[in-house]
Amino acid sequence: MSESVKEVFPKKVVIVPCSGIGKTYGTVSREAAYLVTEEVRPEETQLVALSMLVLGDPQARADVAANPAVTIDGCKLACATKMVQESGGTVAQDFDVLDVYRRYRQFKPQGIAELNESGLQLAGALAEEVARVVDQVLTAGQDRGGSDG
Amino acid sequence: MPEFLEITVDKFIFRIAAGRLYSSEGVWAKQEGNLVRIGLSDFVQQRSGDVAFAEIKPAGTRLAFGDEVAVIETIKVNIGLGSPVSGEIVVTNPDMELAPEAINQDPYGDGWLAVIKASDWIADSDRLMHPEAYLERVRIEAQREIG
Repeated sequence: MSESVKEVFPKKVVIVPCSGIGKTYGTVSREAAYLVTEEVRPEETQLVALSMLVLGDPQARADVAANPAVTIDGCKLACATKMVQESGGTVAQDFDVLDVYRRYRQFKPQGIAELNESGLQLAGALAEEVARVVDQVLTAGQDRGGSDG
Repeated sequence: MPEFLEITVDKFIFRIAAGRLYSSEGVWAKQEGNLVRIGLSDFVQQRSGDVAFAEIKPAGTRLAFGDEVAVIETIKVNIGLGSPVSGEIVVTNPDMELAPEAINQDPYGDGWLAVIKASDWIADSDRLMHPEAYLERVRIEAQREIG
């Protein structure tokens, strides 16, 4: 792969979770983001704090502008998705925790500062779904890079 | 008469649709000929949060006034909703299975729950509140919760 291709096709996917403090689904979104970026796909992903995008932090904006993003929203306001788009980024896929919960009804999240066991399980299931998207995004990038290179 | 009454409490705006009657727990009932359409009030949907699941008793179910007609699971609470009308469920909202968020997005429209063939609407309607009375109830409950 040439240097130019390396520059064009991303090595990482940025993960941007909800910043809603005091909301159960917001906490699930952040727990899932931590799992993905610290345990499940640490080499392939990078956490970007939504609050930094809101503040217009240059590094955060540069990260989302240079890499595809997976957003995890805690409610229908979809702040993470909207902020990535307003920051010049591309949302590869957006997740809504409520929709994810509908797929895993056995994991009813409760708690705010600390999730209950079901909430942690829901975050784990969400993290696995995010990881699959990360793999697809990076594989698609490599495929395009291979054909171009 | 306007389509909606409206009340602002703190930063929250609650709408009460005209042309409906309301139970004390915030289930509205709208007469449509000999049928009555029911749903959840804007106040209750805002207070309860995003709806994750809505389970409505199936068509054919016979209900007395106050019998549980649906269970709503939200991010915050599980609520059993009593029927504001006695009779037999004719049809339930098919969108509730896959898109119950309609309750939050359009509680007086697409978020309706069921249509019931009323067995004694005149008697039932006497036990329900008119929009103006329900607005006062919303004001009191909202102020109590917000403090």
